[in-house]
Amino acid sequence: MSEASAFSARELAATASVGPSRRHFVRRHPSLVAGAAILAIFVALALAAPYLPGDPLTMTPARRLSPPGSGFLLGTDALGRDVLARTIHGARVSLLVGFSVAAFSVLVGLAIGLFAGSIRKADAPLMRLMDALMAIPAILLAIALVSLTRASVTTVVIAITIPEVPRVVRLVRSVVLGVREQPFVEAAIAGGARLPKIILRHILPSTIPPLIVQATYICASAILVEASLSFLGAGSPPEIPSWGNMIASSRLYLARAPWTIFAPGIALALVVLAVNLVGDGLRDRLDPRLARRM
Amino acid sequence: MATTRRRFVQGSVAAATFMAAPAIGRASETPAAAKTLKAVMQGDLRSLDPIWTTANISSYHGALIYDTLFGVDANDKPQPQMVESFGTSDDQLTWTFKLRDGLGFHDGSPVTAADCVASIRRWAVRDGAGQHMFLRVKDIGAKDDKTFAITFSEPYPLILDAFAKAGTPVLYIMRKKDAETDPMQQITEHVGSGPFIFNTNETKQGAFYVYDRNAKYRPRSEPASGMAGGKIAKLDRVIWENVADDQTAIAALQNGEIDFYELPPIDLIDQLEADKNIHVEVLNKSGQIVWCRMNWLYPPFNNVKARQAMLYLVNQNDVMKAAFGNPKYYRACASYFGCGTPMENDENTEWFKEAPNKEKAAQLFKESGYDGRPIVILQPTNFAVFNTADQLLAQWLREIGVNAELAASDWGGVVTRRANREPPEKGGWNIFVTSASGAAFGNPITLVGHQANGEKGWFGWPSDETHEKLRDKWAKAQPQDRLAVAKEIQRNAWNFVPHVYMGLYLQPAAMRANVKGVIGMPELIPFWNIEKT
Amino acid sequence: MIAYVARRLASLVVVMALVGVCVFLLLHLAPGDPAAIIAGDNATPEQIAGIRTKLGLDEALPIQFLRWSTSVLSGDLGVSIFSNTPVTTLIGQRLEPTLSLALATLAFAVPVALVLGVLAAWRAGSSIDRASMIVAVTGFSAPAFVVGYLMIYVFAVTLRWFPVQGYTPFGENIADWARHLVLPALTLGLAYVALIARITRATMLEVLAEDYIRTAKAKGVATGPMLLKHALKNAGVPIITVIGIGVALLIGGVVITETVYNLPGVGRLVVDAISKRDYPIIQGVILVFSAVYVVINLVVDLSYTLIDPRIRY
Repeated sequence: MSEASAFSARELAATASVGPSRRHFVRRHPSLVAGAAILAIFVALALAAPYLPGDPLTMTPARRLSPPGSGFLLGTDALGRDVLARTIHGARVSLLVGFSVAAFSVLVGLAIGLFAGSIRKADAPLMRLMDALMAIPAILLAIALVSLTRASVTTVVIAITIPEVPRVVRLVRSVVLGVREQPFVEAAIAGGARLPKIILRHILPSTIPPLIVQATYICASAILVEASLSFLGAGSPPEIPSWGNMIASSRLYLARAPWTIFAPGIALALVVLAVNLVGDGLRDRLDPRLARRM
Repeated sequence: MATTRRRFVQGSVAAATFMAAPAIGRASETPAAAKTLKAVMQGDLRSLDPIWTTANISSYHGALIYDTLFGVDANDKPQPQMVESFGTSDDQLTWTFKLRDGLGFHDGSPVTAADCVASIRRWAVRDGAGQHMFLRVKDIGAKDDKTFAITFSEPYPLILDAFAKAGTPVLYIMRKKDAETDPMQQITEHVGSGPFIFNTNETKQGAFYVYDRNAKYRPRSEPASGMAGGKIAKLDRVIWENVADDQTAIAALQNGEIDFYELPPIDLIDQLEADKNIHVEVLNKSGQIVWCRMNWLYPPFNNVKARQAMLYLVNQNDVMKAAFGNPKYYRACASYFGCGTPMENDENTEWFKEAPNKEKAAQLFKESGYDGRPIVILQPTNFAVFNTADQLLAQWLREIGVNAELAASDWGGVVTRRANREPPEKGGWNIFVTSASGAAFGNPITLVGHQANGEKGWFGWPSDETHEKLRDKWAKAQPQDRLAVAKEIQRNAWNFVPHVYMGLYLQPAAMRANVKGVIGMPELIPFWNIEKT
Repeated sequence: MIAYVARRLASLVVVMALVGVCVFLLLHLAPGDPAAIIAGDNATPEQIAGIRTKLGLDEALPIQFLRWSTSVLSGDLGVSIFSNTPVTTLIGQRLEPTLSLALATLAFAVPVALVLGVLAAWRAGSSIDRASMIVAVTGFSAPAFVVGYLMIYVFAVTLRWFPVQGYTPFGENIADWARHLVLPALTLGLAYVALIARITRATMLEVLAEDYIRTAKAKGVATGPMLLKHALKNAGVPIITVIGIGVALLIGGVVITETVYNLPGVGRLVVDAISKRDYPIIQGVILVFSAVYVVINLVVDLSYTLIDPRIRY
C-alpha cells in the first residue's frame, strides 16, 4: 500500500511542478521530491491539526468501534474516539518525536564529536564512553529509561536520543580526523590560527552534509522506535495520540476493527518511507561520495 | 508483553531455587498429549510462594501442589478437606482438629499436626484474616501426630471461614521446615501434599511451568465442589505457558496449540464463540470489581465532600462499556460488599440511582473547598482496563472544572508511587484504580482495602473509627447476624466514602471444546477434575 | 597484529566497565520498588517494608554497587530478586531460543539481501533495481510487530503452514524447531534484508566502476562468475561492517519478535524483568548483550584482514 501511495505522490509532485528547470530537478531527484512532498503534506496536517474539526481526546464509550463512514470518516477506536482526528494529531507527536530526536542527537553528537576529534586528550575517554553507550542495546536502554522514570513524550525523546548520539559522534569524529589531514587545514594550523576558528571555518562545514543525511535516517528510525516502545508498553502516555500508541492499543482489533490500525499504520509507514526517501535523495545530492559509500 | 489486557496479576514475581530442590518431580517419560493440558494463565508465575505474595497466580500454583485443611465449596461454605473431624470446647474457646489418614508430602514424608501448626503461623503473619484471628489466639499447638488445637481469648466463629477461604493468601499446608521460613522471605523448596507435583526439572521460569499428577494422592470421597470434595487429578500433566501477548494467545488457542486461556480479551469473545472448537465460560461468577482509591492525606480528598463527589461523578456503565464492550459481561454495582456476595445490600445507595450527576459532583467539589490544584491520577500503561478507567475519570473531572493530571507509568511504577505518602506534587498521588475479585469485597475482614485504620492501613489510608468498630462487630457476629451488621457498615461507609466502585465485570475463560470439568470459583482455578475428552 | 588485538581487548574491558556503571546507575537512581511489586495488591504497606528490608534494598547505593561489581568480576551475575535463582542460570535457560532466532535470521537475511543488492547494482536503474529498493525501504518502514501479526494471520491462522507461537528445543525435534523459527526469522529479517541490500548495492556500484572490473568485462569473463568472484569479494569489507552493526539491530529486534511469537528467549526475560524491576536480571542481561556486541565487532574488525589482505593492523 505504502509503495503505491509513494508512487502516486511522486507522480503528483511531478505533474504539479512547472517550468523546465523544475521538471529537470524532479527527474533527477525523484525520490527526494516524492519524499519531500509526502512529508510536506504531513507537516502541514500536523501544524493545522488544532484548527481542523474533530476531537482526538473525547471518549464516548457508546459509539466505540464504529466503522468508517458512520459519522466518523475513519471510524472510532475502542474508547469511542475519532480515529481520523487522532491520526492527524498523531502526526504532531510522531513528527515531533522524529524531528526532535534527530535534532538533539545531531547537536549533542556534533558537539561531542568535534570536541573528541579536535582535542586529543579528550578523545580516548569520550570514545570509550560512546562505545559503552553503543554496546547497550538501544531498545532495552529506551524501555528501561521510560519504564523506570515517568512516561512522557520528553522521556521518550530522551530515551531514543541517547543511543543515537554515539553513532553521530563517530561520524563527526571520522570527518574531523579526515579533514585535519587536508593540506588547507594543516596550513591554517601552521599559520597559527586558533582552534575554535579552525573548527568553525574549516572543519564544521565538512561535517554538515553527512550529518543532514544521518539526521534523516535517525528521524525515520525514531518514529519507528516510538511505535515499538508503545507496543512494549513503554511509549508516550496513552492519553496522547501518537501513531505508535494507536497501533499498539488497537492491535487486538486487527480482525474486528481493522481501521483502528490501518489509519495510523499507513500514516506511519508513509512518513517513515518519505523521510527515508528524502534521506536517500539528500545523500545523492549533497554527497555523491557518501552515496557510493553508504 | 506489558500491553496485555486485564492481565491483573496482583503484584508478584518469580521464585524457586531449582538447584536446591530435590528431584521429586521425576516424570521419566513425557505424558501423552491427550492427558496434558496446556494453559495460558493470567500472567507469569513470578513467585512460587503463595504465602509470601498475594498474587493470585501464585495461589493457583499453591492449589495444584498443596492441600488445605478446609476448603470452601461451590456455595462458599467451609468444608473439611485434610481434616477428618473437628470440634469446639463447651466454652467455644478451644478448637481441636484431627487430620485424615493417608496424607503425605511429595517427598514421601507424612503430613503431621506440627506441619499444620507451622503453616498456620506463617500464613497468619501475612494474611488479613489470619492477623485478625491471631489477635485473639492464646495458644496453638500439636496434641499428637494427627491432632492440633487452638485456644482463643474470646469465641471466634470466623475461624473456619479463615481456614477455608479461597482469597489470597490461602492457608496451604507446607512441610514444617518450609513453613518455618521467615514470612517476609520466600520458601526455597516447593513440596506439598496436593494432587499435583511441581516438576522443577522441566519447568523454565518465566517461560513455562510443569506439574505432574501425584499418583499417591488420596482424594476425599465426596464429589468435587469448589475447593472442597475429592481432588481427583484426571490429567497426567498441566503446563502453564507464559504467553505475554493476547493476540498471540488467541491465535494459539484457535490453532489448538494451547487448551485453556484464562483471560481472553472480552472484546474478542464473539470471535472465539464463533469457533466451534472453542468453548467460552465465566468461571468466577462473582466477577471482578474495578475500584478507585483516593488519597485521604491531602486535599481535596481529605474532605468528605470531595469523596462523595466521586460517587456522583463515576458512570460505571461507561467505564465498563469502554473497557469491555459487550454488556453481557459487565454491570454496575452499588453495594459496598460487591454484587452477588452474601453481604450484598442496598443500604444508603440513593446516590447510585442518581449517578452520574455531574452538576451534583461539581457542587460537592465546590463545597469541599477545592481550589483548582492538580489532581494526580496514577495511570498504568500496561493494564488496559485501569488505563481506560483512568482516562475516563480524568475526562469527567475536567468536565466539572477539576484539574485532573494523568501520571502515566507501567504498573510497577504505579504500585511504587501509590505507597508514597508525600504530597501529590512531591511524588505522591490523589487517585489510583485497581481491581479485586468481587467475592473478596463480600468479607470486610479479609480484603485489606476494607480497613479504615488510617496510615497503618491500605493505600489511600482512609480512617474512620465507627467503621473499624463495625468490622469488629461483624467478625464476632454469628453467621446469621452478619448481614445486619453488614448493612450498618455500608450505611456508614457510603457516608464517609473510603473508595468508589467503577463497575463489575465477568471475565470468561476460553478453552478448547474437549476440555471438560473446569471448576469455576472466585479467585482460584483448581486443575483437578479437568479432563480432555 | 598482536599488539592491536591486545589494545582492542584492553579497551573492551574499559567499555564493559563503563556499561556496568551506566546500567547500575540508571536502574538504581530511577524510582521503582521491587518489594511493592512482589507483595501483590492485597498487601499492607508494613508488609512491603518488611520484604524490602529482607531483600537488602534499603542499603546505601555504593554498598549495593560494590557487592554487585565484585560478584560480577568473579563471574557471578547475582541472584534474581524475585526467584532466588542465579541470573546466569536464568540466562542460560533462555539462550538457545535467542541464538536460534538470531542465526535463523542471519541465515535467511544475509543471502537474500546479498542477492537483492547485487542484482540491483548489476542492473542499476532497471525495474529490478527499483523493485528491490522498494522492498528494502518498505522493510525499514514497517514496525516489526505489525509485520509479525500479519504473518501470523496469513501463514499460521489462515494457511496453517506454521505454528503461531512457541519454541521446540533443537535437541528435541529438529523439524519442529525449524517450523517454529520460520515466521519469527522472516519478521525479524525484513529490516535486516533492507539494511544489507541497500549497502550491498551501493558498494557494488562503486566496485563495478573500478578499472579492474571493466578490464575483466573487456576480457570477456562471463557475467555471473565475474560478479561473484571479483566484485563481491572486494565489496566484502563494508558488507561485513554492516553485518556487525546489524547485530545491534538484531538484538533490539529479538525483544519484540520474541514477544510476538512467544519465544522463551533472553529478550523476553529482560522485558519481564524491567516490568517487575528485577535489577540483577536487567543488569546481567544488558551486560551479556553488550559483551556480545563488543566481541562481535572485534571479530568483525579482525576478519577484515582475512577478507582483504590489503588491510593490516
